[in-house]
Amino acid sequence: MRRHIGQAGAMAALVALITGCGVTVYEPGVYKGEKDPLLAMHAKPEHKAQLQERFTKGQAER
Amino acid sequence: MARMKFLCDSERCIECNGCVTACKNEHEVPWGVNRRRVVTLEDGVPGERSISVACMHCTDAPCAAVCPVDCFYTTDDGIVLHDKDLCIGCGYCFYACPFGAPQYPQKEAFGVRGKMDKCTFCAGGPEGKDNSDEERQKYGKNRIAEGKLPLCAEMCATKALLAGDGDMVADIYRERVTKRSTRPQSWGWLTAYQEDV
Repeated sequence: MRRHIGQAGAMAALVALITGCGVTVYEPGVYKGEKDPLLAMHAKPEHKAQLQERFTKGQAER
Repeated sequence: MARMKFLCDSERCIECNGCVTACKNEHEVPWGVNRRRVVTLEDGVPGERSISVACMHCTDAPCAAVCPVDCFYTTDDGIVLHDKDLCIGCGYCFYACPFGAPQYPQKEAFGVRGKMDKCTFCAGGPEGKDNSDEERQKYGKNRIAEGKLPLCAEMCATKALLAGDGDMVADIYRERVTKRSTRPQSWGWLTAYQEDV
């Protein structure tokens, strides 16, 4: 009898583990990956100024 | 700062494919994948025009809207990038993109396509470190992190292809149109419908 109760308890724990635990609900439409280090660099005004200078030197009309 | 944009001046493009070659060489893009291509309209007849097309880094990108695993993200200045670690190669972005930008490196049985590849505006991807070997292998070179602009535009011999701050690109193009005293006839109502309305 005690063995049956133990087995039932183990089964219940296994079912709870498989079905209920560890489920992650994600927000749709939101990026899920690693953060790009470029984003932090882009926020700096010096970097933006550098790109603008590069554009003026290389692609603007002479 | 405005959004980063590409613009191809069809009045200047001479279909040299320099931009395509520069892109493939810089990022070591594999055979069968073209991040950029030159499209020619009315080829061989008077009125022929060419434009260089790649990912246009849309403001409201349809590829990102349809992605089931949300692997797309946009930088502050509007460069649309994606994470190849998340991509499942479903191909939805390919169907959604009006420019045919998403490319797939593999053609195998059972529809296996491999991870999606597209123009990154030479800005790499979300790897731990900019211009690391992993980033270069997955996404190509990260020129933006080095303070440089896309090589396709910088290599353009006729300055038909411009890439940079959208406001600055627009200023240059507006000045060109003013000097020509006409707008480009490559596209628009007349080209599409052959009617003078």
